[in-house]
Amino acid sequence: MRLDPRTKLFMVFVISLIAMMSATTPVLWAIRLIITLIPIVLLILEKKYSSALRFFLAYGIALVLLLFFISENSEGIIASLLIGYCGIVVQFMPALITAWYVIRTTKIGEFMSCMQKMHIPDGIAVSLAVVMRFFPTIKEEYSSINDAMRMRGVMLGGGNVLRMFEFRMIPLLFSCVNIGEELSAAAITRGLGGDSKRSSLIELKLGLADYLLMSFLTAATVIFVMYKYFL
Amino acid sequence: MSIVELENINFQYKGSKDGSLDNINLNIEKDQTVLLCGASGSGKTSIIRLINGLIPHYYSGELEGDIRVAGHDVKKTELHELAGTVGTVFQNPRSQFFSVDTDGEIVFGPENIGLEPKEIKARLNDVVAEMDLDELLGRSIFDLSGGQKQRIACASVAALLPDVILLDEPSSNLDFDSIELLRGIILEWKRQGKTIVISEHRLWYLKDAVDRVIYMEKGKMAREWTGDEFNSLSEEEVKSYKLRPVVLEEELIRDIRGESASSFCDAGEAIELKDFYFSYNKHPYLIFKRHFKESDGESLNLNIPSLRIPKGKIIGLVGPNGTGKSTFLRCLCGLERDCRGKISVGGKTFKGRDRLKICYMVMQDVNHQLFTDSVKSEVMLSMIDKDEKRCDEILENLGLLEYKETHPMALSGGQKQRVAIASAIASDAEILLFDEPTSGLDYSHMEKVGMLLKELASQGASVIVSTHDPELISECCDYILGINRGRAVYLKENKKL
Repeated sequence: MRLDPRTKLFMVFVISLIAMMSATTPVLWAIRLIITLIPIVLLILEKKYSSALRFFLAYGIALVLLLFFISENSEGIIASLLIGYCGIVVQFMPALITAWYVIRTTKIGEFMSCMQKMHIPDGIAVSLAVVMRFFPTIKEEYSSINDAMRMRGVMLGGGNVLRMFEFRMIPLLFSCVNIGEELSAAAITRGLGGDSKRSSLIELKLGLADYLLMSFLTAATVIFVMYKYFL
Repeated sequence: MSIVELENINFQYKGSKDGSLDNINLNIEKDQTVLLCGASGSGKTSIIRLINGLIPHYYSGELEGDIRVAGHDVKKTELHELAGTVGTVFQNPRSQFFSVDTDGEIVFGPENIGLEPKEIKARLNDVVAEMDLDELLGRSIFDLSGGQKQRIACASVAALLPDVILLDEPSSNLDFDSIELLRGIILEWKRQGKTIVISEHRLWYLKDAVDRVIYMEKGKMAREWTGDEFNSLSEEEVKSYKLRPVVLEEELIRDIRGESASSFCDAGEAIELKDFYFSYNKHPYLIFKRHFKESDGESLNLNIPSLRIPKGKIIGLVGPNGTGKSTFLRCLCGLERDCRGKISVGGKTFKGRDRLKICYMVMQDVNHQLFTDSVKSEVMLSMIDKDEKRCDEILENLGLLEYKETHPMALSGGQKQRVAIASAIASDAEILLFDEPTSGLDYSHMEKVGMLLKELASQGASVIVSTHDPELISECCDYILGINRGRAVYLKENKKL
């Protein structure tokens, strides 16, 4: 299933909004849970079963712990650690996993085309696109640096947490800066940053799935806000 | 009619003498194919950057003189206005892509100049047909090999239909077959009447393809040959200019492509490898990992039941890209944990993590393996018993002592490589692995690397170097080990030595 990038952006917005707001009544919880299921279903449709399962389990466990085993009265170090862990997972993970889904499934061309449709200035759109393009680069660089650290036996930075961090970040920053510089030189020679309006090969059109999902998300937001603040 | 005119050019980068230009006067006729050759830092890349406008608009420095390209005064023209006129293929396939997918990359230029979607589609189809790229469409650029990336880079330049095409050391990261394809693309552009300027160290693939050859030395145009004169230069003459050869020996080419007949010469005193199996496609598992075995056959990326490698020698590891050279090195030094191969040397056997103790790999991009803030601490980091005297000795031997307190990132590429080698020696590794140490190097730097490897071997280290570089092989390798489709195919002595 191909979703329009605009729908995806809207989805990120709604899911982070609802998942971050505190749910106090059963109705609010129900809406929040349904909303959280959306990225899981989408991941399954994309055949990313293992990610879907991992997310489902992490979220499920955190939720069960939070609802049934931990209360304000819990004491002790384990309980407080668990509250921290579960709280973070339940609050942030749905938004995070949605964003991950969006980045994985959106081509840069689609994204640029979407930005143009929404009349976002080229400058902002291009910067955001470069950020998207950099994720895989960072991953690649990071894994080579990790290899080098293993080979030199400095994975743990000699037991020093600060050095462990430093050893990873310094080469990563250097190579990202270099790649970034060469990348922008290459992009400029191919006409990026001109005065003429960018065009786009990909013409976006909202489909049935987009309309359905968008109305569903809108309805969920309206109901959530109604129940939370007005009823 | 001249399409490129450089008049009385003097240029110097801010804060660096490298690559500066000294009184350059160059007119390039329409339809000409020009090769720029010469040592690194002689100004080849600077000329390319003058023509595409990156100098002075992107890389700043002091510039005198006039540059005109197809009627544009480059100094006064914005870079994006040159986009439809001049196209550039860069050296590093890693950093010239804007998109993540191949289609998006090819249409990136046309989109930037605001063409109609219909026109963009037509250009995409034309370029794909011309360059035979069907099989590469719709793929992630991060999954492509260096050669495939470079083909996409050429296509994305061609999609803008520039009259002038510049190539800045385009073959640096390519294997033989990819270089042949690159030659094909250049010939096709020539046939279409494009003006082409190539800056390059490797010369053999440009034989019979260029009309003019310009030899750069210290920022000056020191010599110029016509294409025919260049083709008939003798081996000695080419060597006297410190250039890489124009003609390669047939046998060497066969060896490097991994096409020689399967045979194994006697390895003498040897490092014995056993059970090296590995695949990037992991078996799905729940609790117990299933180990790779010989019987997994073709699905393996590396399949070496046993192999004897001469000890204390330099072994050139050859074969086409993507057929297991890097995998072999990674498994050998223990970076791939799922490969359970054993290394026996001098009566001791190493397996699993222990392989990391006797092997050390100097990576292609040495920037990834330098972590600390001075050359000295870089070497000390590798030592098990921190011994400052020995550190000084190692640095002395590699000519790095004067840089002891320098930050490694402030060094030149070659010096960084030597720092990486210094830390390899400090780690007491007996087996030193090098992944393409000379890609993108000019002849004299390549020679230096070769001498360094010989030095390491003479001190008793076994050196395994994966390479496509025929000159490096004839310069220093004692043996050639051919890998194809994950199997060791041959081990032969290098007769040229």
